[in-house]
Parts: sequence; C-alpha cells; structure tokens
Amino acid sequence: MKNERKRTYLMISLPILALFICFNTIPLIRGVYYSFTNFKGFGSYDWVGFRNYADLFTDTRVLKSYLFTFKLAVFTTIIVNVISLILAMALNSSIRFKSFFRGAYFLPNVLGALVVGYIFNYFFTYILPAFAQMVGIEALSGSILSKEGLAWIGIMIVCAWQAIAMNTIIYISGLQTVPEDVYEAGGLDGATGWNQFRHLTLPLIMPFVTINLVLCGKNFLMVFDQIMALTKGGPAQSTESISYLIYNNGMSGGQFGFQSANAVVFFIVIVAISVAQMKFSSKKEEQL
Amino acid sequence: MKGKILKCLFLSAACVFAGISLQSCGSKDTSVTEIEIVQYKPEAASYFKQVEEEFNATHNNIHLTIQSPNDASTILRTRFIREDYPDIIGIGGDINYSYYMDAGILADISDYQGLQYINQAYLDIDEGLKIIPTEGVFAVPYVANAAGILYNREIFEEYNWQVPETWDELIGLCETMKAEGVLPFEFGFKDTWTCLAPWNSLAVGLAPADTAKQVNAGSTTFSVEYRETAEKYMQLMKYGPTDPCAFNYNDACTAFARGESAMYTIGSYAVPQILSINPDMKIGSFTMPANNVKEENPLNSGIDLQFCVMADCKNKEAAYEVLDFLLADENIQKYIDAQTAIPCKVGEFQLAEVLDGMEEDIVNGNMKDYQDHYYPSEMAVDAQLQTFVIRQDVGAFLEKFDKDWLRYNRDIIYKVQKYEEGLK
Amino acid sequence: MKEKKTNWPVMVLLLLGLSTIAFPLYMTVIIAFKKPSEMTNSISGILSLPKSWSLDNFAEAMRVTDFWHSISYSLLITIITVVLSIALHSLMGYVLGRTKAKSKFYNFIYLFIVSGMFVPFAILMMPLAKQTAEMGIANWFGVILLYVVFYMPMNVLLYTGYLVNIPFALEEAARVDGSSTWRTYWKIIFPIMKPMHATVAVLTALAVWNDVMTPLVIMAGSNKNTLPLAQLNFQTQFGANYNLAFASYLLSMIPILIFYLVCQKQILNGVTNGAVK
Repeated sequence: MKNERKRTYLMISLPILALFICFNTIPLIRGVYYSFTNFKGFGSYDWVGFRNYADLFTDTRVLKSYLFTFKLAVFTTIIVNVISLILAMALNSSIRFKSFFRGAYFLPNVLGALVVGYIFNYFFTYILPAFAQMVGIEALSGSILSKEGLAWIGIMIVCAWQAIAMNTIIYISGLQTVPEDVYEAGGLDGATGWNQFRHLTLPLIMPFVTINLVLCGKNFLMVFDQIMALTKGGPAQSTESISYLIYNNGMSGGQFGFQSANAVVFFIVIVAISVAQMKFSSKKEEQL
Repeated sequence: MKGKILKCLFLSAACVFAGISLQSCGSKDTSVTEIEIVQYKPEAASYFKQVEEEFNATHNNIHLTIQSPNDASTILRTRFIREDYPDIIGIGGDINYSYYMDAGILADISDYQGLQYINQAYLDIDEGLKIIPTEGVFAVPYVANAAGILYNREIFEEYNWQVPETWDELIGLCETMKAEGVLPFEFGFKDTWTCLAPWNSLAVGLAPADTAKQVNAGSTTFSVEYRETAEKYMQLMKYGPTDPCAFNYNDACTAFARGESAMYTIGSYAVPQILSINPDMKIGSFTMPANNVKEENPLNSGIDLQFCVMADCKNKEAAYEVLDFLLADENIQKYIDAQTAIPCKVGEFQLAEVLDGMEEDIVNGNMKDYQDHYYPSEMAVDAQLQTFVIRQDVGAFLEKFDKDWLRYNRDIIYKVQKYEEGLK
Repeated sequence: MKEKKTNWPVMVLLLLGLSTIAFPLYMTVIIAFKKPSEMTNSISGILSLPKSWSLDNFAEAMRVTDFWHSISYSLLITIITVVLSIALHSLMGYVLGRTKAKSKFYNFIYLFIVSGMFVPFAILMMPLAKQTAEMGIANWFGVILLYVVFYMPMNVLLYTGYLVNIPFALEEAARVDGSSTWRTYWKIIFPIMKPMHATVAVLTALAVWNDVMTPLVIMAGSNKNTLPLAQLNFQTQFGANYNLAFASYLLSMIPILIFYLVCQKQILNGVTNGAVK
C-alpha cells in the first residue's frame, strides 16, 4: 500500500522534473558557461576566467542597480500586499455587484505595457504637475519622473497599480479556504473586526501571504517592463534595475558574457533571500 | 463538469491548430534559388513587401523572401546563435555592423558591380566603422538619414527670421526668439536616445570624425576633443523647456507639431511622426551650425539602412541580382518618398521638400557620420548625456566619458593595440 | 447560509477605489477612438471626447496585426499551455505537497523547482534559442513546452500551498475502498482543488497571453505572429501610432477578461460546494 503510493509519486514527479531540468537547468548551466567568456551573443569568443565576476563587484553602475531594485522591491511588496489583502476582504464581503467589482479591479493587469506606460507617463508629466500647481504643492509642480530622487516612486505606483489585481486574486482564493463556521464560532467568542482578522483569518491564510510575498518579491526584483515603459533607466541612470541592465546590455548591447555573470550572481542572491524568507514565514505560520 | 470544460478546451485547441497547420503546408521547388532578406526597419515593411512581389514576378530562377520583423535586432541575434543565417541582412551603419563584421559573419562583396554607383562619402563612412583595417567591402549603403535642426517654416516667416549659418547667428536667433516669447527648442530627453541628436550634430563640426579611433589608439582623450561640444551643448539647453527630461520623444514631436516651439534638434527620421500629428505642417531643416565658419559645418548624416551579404550565403550571384533590383533607381525613389530618406546611390533623385536646407551639403558630400555609431550601446552615452543635462557639470561628464570608455571598449582597445604592434 | 446585509461602507470605499481604474480606462478608450491629428499635450485636449466615434482605428488595427490569424495563434498557445499547466503542475504540486514535509529528497526537489522562478529570463534566452533549434522545436510547440516549464515554479508553489489545507483523511477514505493513488488523485483531490485550478488558469493565461519575448526569441524567423508580437508593429524606432495601438490592446483585452470572469465563478463555486472543511 505504502509502496504503491511511493511508486506513483516517483512516476509522476520524475518525468516532470526531467522536463524542468531540460528547459530550465540545462540552459542555465550553458548561461553560467557564457559568464566566463567575453561572448557578445554572436561570433567567436574567448575564455576570460573570473574577469566578469571581478568586474561585477567593482562596477558602480551594477551596484547602484542592486540598491535601486531592492529599495523598489521592498516598498512595493509591502504596499501591494497590504492593499490587496484589504481589497480581497472587501471583495469577499457581502456587497452587491460582486462580479462587476472583481472584473473591474482585475483590469489593470490586462492592459498592455505600452498602454500603461503611455497613460502614466501622461499622468506624471502633465496631469499631476497641473494638479499640484492648482493646489499649490511646490514639490510636485514638475514631473516626478524627471527627478532623480522621486522617479522610483512613480515606478512604484505603477508596479503596485498593476500587481494588486494579481495578488488580490490569490488572496481571494485563499479566503475561500476559510470555512464560514470558523467565523461563527469566533463570533460567539466575541471576536470581531481587527481581532477576528488577527486571530482567525490571518493564521488561516498565512500560506497565501507567504505565496504572495514570494511572488511579489520575485516580480519586483525582476522589474523590467515598467522601467522600459516609464523611465528607460533615467533620469540620470537612477532607475536602472538589475533586469534592465541584464537585458539591455546583454541582449541588445555587446555585454552578453558580463551580463550573464550579473544574472548568475543575481540568481544566487534572490535564492538566498527567498530561502531565508520562506524559513522565516514558515516559522511565523507555526507560531500563529 | 471539469471534464466537460477540459474536453471543450482540447477540442477548440485542436480546431485552431488544424486551421493553422493547414495554412502552413506548402510545397517548395528545389530548382529555384531561395534568397532570404531580414531587414530591421518595420516601418518600411510595405515597401519591401512590394519589392518582394515585383522581384518574384520578374524572376523565375530566384525566389526572394523579405522579412521586416519587429525587433529585428533580437531576431537576428537569436538566428546567429542558432547559426541559421539569412542570405542578406538589412541593418544600420552603427556599432552592431562593426561587431558583425569583426565577428566574421559578413561576406566580402568588393567584387559587386553595384558598388560603383554608391556615393563615396557613404562608402568611406562604412570604411571608418571597421574596428581594425580589414581588406574588403562588407556592406552596400542603401539609404541615409540626416540630423540637424528642423524648424517651423510658418513661425520663421511670420517673424521674418533667417536660417542661421554660424554658431553666433544661431545663438543670436535664439535670443531674439526668447525676447519675442517664442520657445526656440523642443527637447524630449526623457527618451534618452534623443539626447544624442543635438550631441551628434554638434560633434561632427567640433571633433574629428575618427575621435573614437584616436582614443582607442591612445593618442588623445575625449576630455580634449569633446570639451567644446559639451560646452556648446550646455549652451543650447538654455533655449529649451525648463525641465527637458520631463518630456519624451513623442511629447516633443507633438509639441513641435503644434507650433509650441520654433525649432527641434532631431533627425529627418522624425518627420513622419511629426506629420502624423499635424499633416499640414510646413517643416524646414538646416545643418547644425556648430562653428562660426559656415564651410566648417558638415551635415550630420549616417547610413540608416545598408545590405550585407552573409558569409554563409550559398549563392552570392543570386544575392547580387537581388541587390541590383533593390538598387534600381525607381525602387530607391519609392523608398525615399515613403520614409523621407536620403539615397546613398549617386543619381537624379527627388529629395523630400523637408530636406531642402540640407540638400547642398548632401550634393557636395559635405557629410560626417554620427559619432554615436562608434559608441557601444551598453556604455549608455545617451543616459550619460541625460545626466549631464541634469547636473550641468562639463568636467564630470567628460571625465566619466573617458573612464567608462576604457571600461566598455577594453576588448576593442586590446585588439587595436595588438594590431598596431603587429604593424611595427 | 443566512442572507447577509449589504455592507455599504465597503461598497462606498470600493467605488472610490474604482476611480483609479476608471480614469486610465477612460483615457485608453478615448485615445483608441481618436485620430493621430487629435493628439495634443494639453490636458483639456487629451481628456476631451474624440471628434467621432468611428471604428476605423479598430478596423485598421485588426488589419495591421492580421488579427484573426494572430489571435487564433495566441489562443492556441494559451489554451494548450493552460491545460497542460493545470494537469502537470497540479500533479507535481500534489506529490510535493504530500511529501516535502517528510522526505528530504522531495523537499529538495520542491526548493529546486521553486528557485527556478528566480532565474532571469535573459540568461536563458540565448541558450534556449539554440537548444530549441537543435531539438527541432523552434516553433509553437517549443514555446508551449517552455511556458509549461517557466510557470511551473509559481504554480507548484500555489498548488502545494493550497494542498496544506486539504486534509489527508479525505484520501485515506478513498484508499480504504481499494482505489489506487493515481485514481484517488483524479477522483478526490483534483476536483477539490478547483478554486486553485481557476487561479492558476488565470495567472498562467494572463502571463502567456501578454508575453512577447518567448515567441519572439523561439519562433524568430518564422512568419507566425502571436497577438503581442503583431502589436510590436505599432512602435517603430522613430515613432509610434498610439491610437491604433490602443485600439488593438482594447481588442486583445476582451478574451482574457472573459476568461477571468468565467474562472472567477469557479473560484467561488469551489467553496459553496462545501468540499473543503
């Protein structure tokens, strides 16, 4: 009986694992190989040993891109998760026109990057400054995307605007796993409002909080589309994300080998962080 | 319930697939030589579609396919890595061309007869793009574009302003405009690549054409050669919008088309976009007067599209026949009409009216290539210029330029120096 | 279940929040109807209604993108990917969810697959272009296989997370009746995970539907375009036709929006069926 189960598990997981290795691990290994060369993406190349890695740690542009990316990812992840959890609970509560609301709040996710980029560019360049001048806020009377200190906030807003829809869906499906009678039982004990959320809802949907944190962290650490749509790394190279450098300089430019090294280091860094994060939140799950 | 949904999904997928595969079935005749061109200008796709049809209608021995994909540079690179080379590629005369040539994937076409009809100035530009002197010709320049200053003819006529021919005249004109309450320039520096347009057109007049090569050979620095360019660039900024980095290329084109500024420092390639917003606009153009001597101001013009036969091409004769067809006068005329381009071929061509102010320099061959065609894209000189516009520090900008240049061109410099040593 | 009262304060807040979506949507729609010559930089100009509500832009956008061909191609790829993802990823999620707590081996596989999520696509792109060509699958089939692999980490994460809330006792009951693990899975577990299937379907479909890079790199050189690939047409090096682009994006939004609304119902039904207790 037990053996039958074990055998089935193996028969399921091995082929799928093989597929994964074939199209993820093997190309990754090839990529790691290129990171030790000065390959441009075409033509001949030479083996350069650890030169790319040595360059990486002395390149201030790369360093700046790490700082920017992590700053953006941390803030956006927090904002997105707070808002989408609230939104998910609101959409899950007893309201009218539920389908309409759920459909409407999903829209930001479906609009293409070109459209989102155009509209928010317009908003930040013309509408927001005009509004700020009307109200008299001096700091916002120019486009925030052209100010080195503020441009990342513009990117954060757009990232959050688009990502909230996705995370809300996951939270909604998480909330479906909370049985109605838990609330009824809790209601008898007098747990309402914040207390009900803190002690009943949150522990039960904790796995989904973990999933959302991981997915958000991943998406924002790899932010690329929004950068291309809004600032293309500017102003004054202040919003160059890691993925932006890897793609632009590696794929479009002639730095394929060097940016492969960048990608390898980046991969190791995120895996380390997310393992730590998962360890941390699984401890949290147990505590709650 | 779930089973039904799955069944439906499978069925519909199967139907769609059947539809697609039926379409793709077609037989190929092996006695005909296949020539495939991949060219990088999707905006000219309809022109090339027409050329392809006309060619195939008149040639029985060769079957021509021209692809005008979106994002051709990515497509070309993926095809190179797969070693699935097209026969001919249509690319720009920029550093990618230098890289491809250096990688040895382009064929030497010095035996191609059509080369004798090409304007020598453009052949020289291609020669200059070689990283180290290499025997042979690797591209047929097809059309060029030019950058300088576009101006609003109606505004100029209204105030009776003349086209400036020297730097002092330009600055004087800008002052007059400011006094009249007219914005002299529009800039769209939020899209960093537009920062390069005024930069290039100033640099051709103020720095040697082979600055980058001289630096690679170690005989000079950018701090020396580019100082005047950087200073004059900063001077121009005074006559643009207060926050030039807030607006993108599209904003700037729209504003210029709506008459919000008298001039716009951009290339001829922007004309179609401007006209799409204001089809009735009368646009003029002139060469950037970077110097105070009119004769020392060359036009900033570079190769926008050129054809390279790949080293892998099986049938060079057939490829040449295709090139002959593309280079036929009436085809070139069609192309330049549609794209406001400048022909690289010598002959009687009708240039677009917008280019009137530049025609003299074009006819006389008083042209120099874009300096940025030598800059590696990963160095992001455009973004450095944007930083320069924001920080306004000439010294810091030039210092960083020199420092980054050595970092991003290390392999090229090594190659050049090795070549020079070999000569000794 | 008792009939509950409508929560009006929440309704009001939701309506207010809706303005952040209504405004961009309004801009998208009006720009999609305008002509390039109606585009300005002034605020009143951009917010004004188009001069005429003609469908010319939509017709032209459909012509430029070869709409029916590219959309059927997109549909083919998206549908097959979603079906395969639900089948394979839920199986993998099930195995890993049931085993990773006890077995070091499966826990390693779990982490191995999930960490695949963090591989930057740019590093895989070139090797994959080469590999798919060598294997002779540089076509839609290869693209689908790649998608199944790319979204595996995310979906496995979702499925294993969901499985934690499905008690093992449910399977035991079926197994006592002599049903094999394989049959038990399809009969008991797979239907229970319906809300998660719907979630996975939405997330995967959306990612595939909008993706440009994979088909661009893998199918480079073939004449087949997916819808997002065809939409690259609107942006060239020196100009963009936003009006046509917006019309085209509005059109391509519709199928995925309908799909989402259908799936959304499934997410809810899963619970009212009372499967999870």
